[in-house]
Amino acid sequence: MNTFTIPRSLGRSLVGLLATTILTAAPAKGPGPSKHAGRGIACAQCHGKGGKREAVPMRQCQTCHDPEALAARTAQVKPTNPHQNRHYGTQTDCTRCHHEHRASENFCLPCHTRFGFKVP
Amino acid sequence: MSDERRDEATAPDAYTRQMLEQGLSRRSFLGRAAGGAAAAGFLGLGAMPALAGVASEGKGAGAFAHSADGGATLSFLPKPKPIRDREIAETLTFDVVVVGAGASGVPAALSAAEHGAKVAVVQKAPFALSQGNTGSGVDLATSEKAGVEALVARLIADSNHRCNPKLIRQWAYNSGEAVRWVIDRAKQGGATVVDQGSPAQRAILKVNGYGMGYVTSFFGPKPYTTGDGIRALAKTAEKAGVKFFFQMPAVQLVQGRSGEVQGVIARGQDGKYRKFLAKKGVILATGDYQNNKAMSDYFIPDVKHLERKQLDKTGDGYAMTYWAGGVFEPIGHTKMLHDFDAGPASMCDTPFLAVDRKGRRFVNETVEMSLLNNYLKDPENAGHYAQVFDADYMTQAATWPGKQVPPEGLKNYMPDEPGPKKGVFESQVNTHRADTLEELARKLELDPATFVATVKRYNEVVASGKDSDFGKPATFLAPVAKAPFYGIHRRVRLSAICSGMLVDEHHQALDADGKPIKGLFLVGNLGGGFYGGVDYPLTVFGLSLGRCYTFGYLTGRHVARL
Ligand SMILES: Cc1cc2nc3c(=O)[nH]c(=O)nc-3n(C[C@H](O)[C@H](O)[C@H](O)COP(=O)(O)OP(=O)(O)OC[C@H]3O[C@@H](n4cnc5c(N)ncnc54)[C@H](O)[C@@H]3O)c2cc1C
Ligand code: HEC
Ligand code: HEC
Ligand code: HEC
Ligand code: HEC
Repeated sequence: MNTFTIPRSLGRSLVGLLATTILTAAPAKGPGPSKHAGRGIACAQCHGKGGKREAVPMRQCQTCHDPEALAARTAQVKPTNPHQNRHYGTQTDCTRCHHEHRASENFCLPCHTRFGFKVP
Repeated sequence: MSDERRDEATAPDAYTRQMLEQGLSRRSFLGRAAGGAAAAGFLGLGAMPALAGVASEGKGAGAFAHSADGGATLSFLPKPKPIRDREIAETLTFDVVVVGAGASGVPAALSAAEHGAKVAVVQKAPFALSQGNTGSGVDLATSEKAGVEALVARLIADSNHRCNPKLIRQWAYNSGEAVRWVIDRAKQGGATVVDQGSPAQRAILKVNGYGMGYVTSFFGPKPYTTGDGIRALAKTAEKAGVKFFFQMPAVQLVQGRSGEVQGVIARGQDGKYRKFLAKKGVILATGDYQNNKAMSDYFIPDVKHLERKQLDKTGDGYAMTYWAGGVFEPIGHTKMLHDFDAGPASMCDTPFLAVDRKGRRFVNETVEMSLLNNYLKDPENAGHYAQVFDADYMTQAATWPGKQVPPEGLKNYMPDEPGPKKGVFESQVNTHRADTLEELARKLELDPATFVATVKRYNEVVASGKDSDFGKPATFLAPVAKAPFYGIHRRVRLSAICSGMLVDEHHQALDADGKPIKGLFLVGNLGGGFYGGVDYPLTVFGLSLGRCYTFGYLTGRHVARL
C-alpha cells in the first residue's frame, strides 16, 4: 500500500454522478480477461447485447447477486463486513472493490488502514 | 415609498457587494474580461488575465468564468445540455423539494412539512447521512444581549472578518430554538441525543465579560453519530408526511424562461430520470465538494494532498447553483481538518512534543490540532503527525491545556490492546505505548533514527529551560525520558469545506447582479457567507452542525410560507 496517496475515493468519486456528464470513459487498452468467463458467464450478461463495453452499473451485478444475501454470507468477515457498512449499508457499488478485468482493490483501506481485506 | 428609498432597502450590503465583485459566476467572467487589462495592472498580475481571456474566447466558450487571479478557469464546470422531457420517466409535484438528506436537508424538510408544505427529499445515498456529534446554539434565555453580540463579534473575527455578519447574527439569535427543536424531533424518531448545554462550552461562558448560555446537542457517544441522529429525524419527517427518495441523486435543476427554478431532475438507481417539480422552491442541501478533485484544487488548493473523511461529496449543489447563475465565494475557501479519534479528544491540544511523519519536530506545539494541517499539507506528511510523551505525563501535563487521560484509559485508544473499545471509532484509534523510543517510532510509523535524534534534541532544549528551536513557553517543556513512552499517531483529514455559494438572509441563492434566483435556496455547507477564515473555528464547539440545523429549520419554514 502506498500510504502517501490521497484515498482512491477522491479520484474515483470524480467518475461519479456529475463527472459522467463531463467525462466519458475512454479505455486506452483492451480489458484483461473476464473473471466471470470461468463461471460460464458471457460478456453480454454484464455489458448487454451489443451494448457498449464500458463500466457496468451496480444494478447489473444485482441481476445475479443479491446484496442482502451477500451481506449475510460475509457477516462474519473480519475486521468488518465489506458488504454491509455504515456508509452505504448493503449498497456499496461493487465495482469500487471488485474489478472484472484487472486486480480488485480495497476501497476502504485508505481511510481505515487496518481494514486489510483481500478482495477477490 | 419613493424609488430612492426602495433602492436603499434592496441595495446589497457590504458583504454581498464584495462577493458580487470578487465571487465567481458564469456571468462575472464576461464583465471581468473586459476590464482585464486595467485589473491586471492594479493587481500586478502581468499578462495572465489577457492570456486566459484569449484561451476561452478561442474556444468560443466565453461562458467559462475565470478565477479572481484571471489565471485558472472553471472549465471543469461546463453547463450540461438540459435533460429533455422525453428522457424523463416520471414527473412528481410537491410544494418543496429538498436535495440531500443530511444535517441541513432533513431539518429543512421537516420544518417545511410542519409549516404545511408537501415535501420531497431526494437523496444520493441509500439512506439519510451525515457525520459528527455536536451541534450548538445560543440559549437566549440565559445569555446577556451584550454577550450574544460579543460572541457574534468573536465569530466574525474568527472568520478573519470575511463572513456575512447578518448570517452570524441570524445563527446567534435563532440557533437555541432550532437546536432544541432538532433534539426534540430527533428524540421522537428514537435518537440517542442529549443537550449538554453550557458545560460543553466552557471557554465561552463569558465573552468579553458578558454571560452566555448554550444549547449543545450531542448525538453519541461514538460510534453513534449525527448520521444516526439524522436518520431518526428523517423518521419523524416521514411521519409528518415528507416523502424520501433514496439512491436518487439530483443532477440538474429545472429552470423556466426567466431563470426561475421550478424543480430538479434526479437519477434513480435504475438509471432513469425523474422530475421533481417544486411549486414553492427547491432547497439544495448537498453538503460540500471535498470529493470533487477539480473543484477542490481550484477553490481550496491547500488541501490538495490531504486525505478526506467523507465520501461522494462531489459538490453537485455547487455545480447546479453555478449553472443557474449563482456565485461562488472567492478562491481560498474555509476548511475543517481534525483528528479527535486517534487518541482522546481532550488531549489533542495538549502541547506535548509533536513530530511530523518522519519524526522531526515541526512546530511550537501550542498550535491547536485544528490548525496543524497548515504545517502538514505537503504530500509526504499529508496531515500525519504524532504527539509524544513519557511515563510522567499525568503529573507533567497536569496543568497544561486539555484533560489528560490516565494510562489505563489510554488503552481504549490502543489498537494493540485486546478487548472491546468504548465511545470511540474502533477503526480510527491509533495510540501506542512502547518501552523504547525505537519501538515507539515503529508503532507510530516514524523513521526510528530521525525520531530518536529529535527526542534527544528536544530533551536538550527542555534541560536548557528555553525552547530555542520553536519558542514554546517554558511551562510546556517536559522531557521525554522515562519509559514507557506514549505516542498518538494523528492524521488530520478534511472533515468539511465550509464555504459555499452566495445567499441572502432567506438563504436564497443570488445571481451575479445580486438578485435572488427565484425558487432556489441553499443550506448547509453549500450556503456561503458564514465563514471566511483559513480554518473553521472551534470557538463554539459544534458551530458547523448547529448552523446547518438552524438554517435548515429557518429555510424550510420560510419556503413553506411562500
Ligand atoms: C468525521 C466528521 C466529524 C464531524 N464532527 C462534527 C461535529 O462534531 N460538530 C460539527 O459541528 N461538525 C462536525 N463535522 C462537520 C459536519 O458534519 C458538516 O459540516 C455537516 O454535516 C454539513 O452538513 P450539510 O447538510 O451541509 O451536509 P451533509 O450533512 O454532509 O449532508 C449532505 C447530504 O446530501 C447528500 N447529497 C450529496 N449530493 C447529492 C445529490 N446530488 N443529490 C441528492 N443528495 C445529495 C449526501 O448524501 C448527504 O446526505 C464533522 C465532519 C466529519 C466528516
Ligand atoms: C461480471 C461482469 C462482466 C463481464 C462478464 C464482462 N465484463 Fe467487461 N467490464 C465489466 C466492468 C465492471 C467493466 C469496467 C471496468 C472494471 O471495473 O473492470 C468492464 C469493462 C470492459 C471494457 C472496457 C475497457 C475497460 O477496461 O474499462 C471492455 C472492452 C470489456 N469490459 C469487454 C468485455 C468482454 C469482451 C467480456 C467477455 C469476455 C467482458 N467484458 C465480460 C464487467 C464485465
Ligand atoms: C449473469 C450473472 C452474473 C452477473 C451479471 C454478475 N455475476 Fe458475479 N458471479 C456470478 C456467478 C454465477 C458467480 C460464482 C458463484 C458465486 O460466487 O456467487 C459469481 C462470482 C462473483 C464473485 C466471486 C469471485 C470469487 O473469486 O469468489 C464476485 C466478486 C462477483 N461475482 C462480482 C460481480 C460483480 C462486481 C458483478 C457486476 C460488475 C457481477 N459479479 C455480475 C454471476 C454473475
Ligand atoms: C469494500 C469492498 C467490497 C465491495 C464494495 C463489494 N465487495 Fe464483494 N467482497 C469483498 C471482499 C473483501 C470479499 C471476500 C470476503 C471474504 O473474505 O470471504 C468479497 C467477496 C465477494 C463474493 C464472494 C462471496 C462468497 O460467498 O465467498 C461475491 C460474490 C461478491 N463479493 C460480490 C460482490 C457484489 C455483487 C458487490 C456489490 C453488491 C460487492 N461484492 C461489493 C469486498 C467487496
Ligand atoms: C473517505 C474515507 C472513508 C472511506 C473510503 C471509508 N470510510 Fe468508513 N469511516 C470513515 C470515517 C471518517 C468514519 C468515522 C466517522 C463517521 O462515521 O462519520 C468511518 C466509520 C466507519 C465505520 C464505523 C466506525 C468504526 O471504526 O467502528 C465502519 C464500520 C466503516 N467506516 C466501514 C467502512 C467500510 C467497510 C468501507 C469500505 C466500503 C469504508 N468504511 C470506507 C471514512 C471512510
